[in-house]
Amino acid sequence: MAGMCCGVVGETKTQSTVEPSGGGQGRRRRMEIQQLKLFATAASNVVVPLPENNIKRRKVEGFDTNTDLKRPKTCENTSQSENTAQSENAVQSEKAVQSDEVLEKEGSRFGLTVVCGRRRDLEDAIAVKPSFCKTNSPSSDDLHFYGVYDGHGCSHVAMKCKDRMHEIVKEEVKNCEKSIEWKETMVKSFSRMDKDVTEWSNCASSSNCRCELQTPQCDAVGSTAVVAVVTPDKIVVSNCGDSRAVLCRNGVAIPLSTDHKPDRPDELKRIEDAGGRVIYWDGARVLGVLAMSRAIGDNYLKPYVIPEPEVTITERTAEDECLILASDGLWDVVSNDVACSVARMCLRSQEVPSPPRSPGSVLNVARGESSDKACSDASILLTKLALARQSTDNVSVLVVDLRRSL
Amino acid sequence: MSTIHPPNHLSLLIHRHHPHPQFNPPPTNKFLLSTMLLDLLDNTNTTTTLMAESIPNQTFNNFFESWIGEQNTHLQELISAVNNNNNGGNEHNDDVNMIELIERVVQHYEKYYKEKSEWEKRDAISMFTPRWRSNLEDAFLWIGGWRPTLAIHLLYSKSGLQLEAKLGDLIRGITTGDLGDLSPDQIKRIDELQMKTIHEERVLTEKLAKVQESVADRSMVELSNMVSEMMRNEDEGGDGDGVSEERVELTLEMKKEEMEELLHMADDLRLKTLKAVIEILTPVQGVHFLIAAAELHLRLHEWGKKRCQRPQ
Repeated sequence: MAGMCCGVVGETKTQSTVEPSGGGQGRRRRMEIQQLKLFATAASNVVVPLPENNIKRRKVEGFDTNTDLKRPKTCENTSQSENTAQSENAVQSEKAVQSDEVLEKEGSRFGLTVVCGRRRDLEDAIAVKPSFCKTNSPSSDDLHFYGVYDGHGCSHVAMKCKDRMHEIVKEEVKNCEKSIEWKETMVKSFSRMDKDVTEWSNCASSSNCRCELQTPQCDAVGSTAVVAVVTPDKIVVSNCGDSRAVLCRNGVAIPLSTDHKPDRPDELKRIEDAGGRVIYWDGARVLGVLAMSRAIGDNYLKPYVIPEPEVTITERTAEDECLILASDGLWDVVSNDVACSVARMCLRSQEVPSPPRSPGSVLNVARGESSDKACSDASILLTKLALARQSTDNVSVLVVDLRRSL
Repeated sequence: MSTIHPPNHLSLLIHRHHPHPQFNPPPTNKFLLSTMLLDLLDNTNTTTTLMAESIPNQTFNNFFESWIGEQNTHLQELISAVNNNNNGGNEHNDDVNMIELIERVVQHYEKYYKEKSEWEKRDAISMFTPRWRSNLEDAFLWIGGWRPTLAIHLLYSKSGLQLEAKLGDLIRGITTGDLGDLSPDQIKRIDELQMKTIHEERVLTEKLAKVQESVADRSMVELSNMVSEMMRNEDEGGDGDGVSEERVELTLEMKKEEMEELLHMADDLRLKTLKAVIEILTPVQGVHFLIAAAELHLRLHEWGKKRCQRPQ
């Protein structure tokens, strides 16, 4: 699994974490940025280019190691070199990240980038939890969790989602008696997440966030959530708000979520039926305030703005190339098709795009290893493209490689 | 690029031309201070002008005009460096030459801030609304100069233009070496720098708020009332009190000191941010960045001057 993430947060907070399942609670919050490269060898640190016949075996072995996920592990060789190649300035935090956050699990290859961009506050967050839980079925399949959260008003709801959502989903999956009813499970998870946020805001006595948890400002804080749970044969996307998941299948961009905009006819009707109004004030806004019709948080806009996700379940095929999850910082300026073709070309590219003679970038990835970097390259290139096109928002891009894993 | 000299002082992009700096006291104080206080400010300016005559650059304005000329020359050198680089040639020599050029350009910025700092020590108040700048540039100022995060936005914009120009190559993995080709590590460090700079900007903005609010602090209100009372008494034929004039001067001096400190800090942050950006970039990227900075600065200055000359 190849992961790259640039997440920077104000003083000490983290907007993105990458970690495997089980490591949950005690995670560090001080990681500021990371560029991770994981390879799927649960029990060893050896670089192996994930051959098909190894996958099953690791699936079995892999889970045994979940118990010690909290323990520091080192990355395999290539990731070491790539990590070392990054900013020398950030070495300390990187080290911490490496040992605590980077774990090697099978089956998840991804790259992610979070940048503040042309905004003055970072309110986006990304969570990646490879093998965050297993199905209850006899095959006991590994599930991977990917979430992008775009906060508004303040960053604390997005941060909470980043910290908690996968844990809630995991609990709900475990509660499923037999086969998982994904729609029900995800709707319930989102609803619980929303309650968590509300309770937390009510109880928390102090906070260092911008809103200072003072009502009424605090009630006006919320976050989008687009969550993809990837199983061996399915992609389950749950969405609330205007972040988006797009599947790249054989070069074709297939949106797996539909943005919740207040002027979407069915959403407009739902809001008006609930007694709310959509007012055009710098675009369509619920009560003239919020430019999306569903979100986690945003208590003062309930019941017009709801935390109920729309869930799509997509069967995976051999033609699937990658999944792109991103905040509107990307989608506002880059179309699904362009994003898809950029990501696809990065994945297919045999050459590693890396600037020559870049200081502190001793990146020298051999050809054979280049595909591991492809997701990172795709996420960074899409981010740069969004910045180039004058995106005015934070930009968060997560690219998940879906090839080979089926 | 680590050989770049340590920072002296700071503030760069934006400036105006006005031949007579001793006129027009800062208008912001008009509503708050009595005529007498304004007179005092004017006197301060006169004193400064007299002092200035004893040093080589009679006004900061003169210094600025010659500095702009030098920046223009540097811009041409930077452009040639990029052209040479594009025409191939010895990569190592190119790098060495570019590093040397970048150092000289950065030293030129340092020289600017050093001089500015000297003038700030003499008269911080008038440096706050620099008269060498046009109204256009003035409108975009932050604590007497360009906003430090502008450096990041400048970088993103130039990088974006270069990225879109060669997007096809970059997707195919062909390196371009310019600002469109920022590596993941560079993006990460720029993002870190941006967050840090925004934070430091906010700290200074808060500080500015404190200083500005102190115009109506107890001592100022008390003093303005005292002086007003005195003036009323004078009208009625009473005695003027010489002691209070001293007090006025003393009180204003304190404000000036706070303003001066703030200017130094803001200038420091500007130069620091500029250098930090250069540090992140490769030599050729650094040259591209300095070109963009010089072009924006020089053109904005010209546009502003032209605009001032137009009948409004």
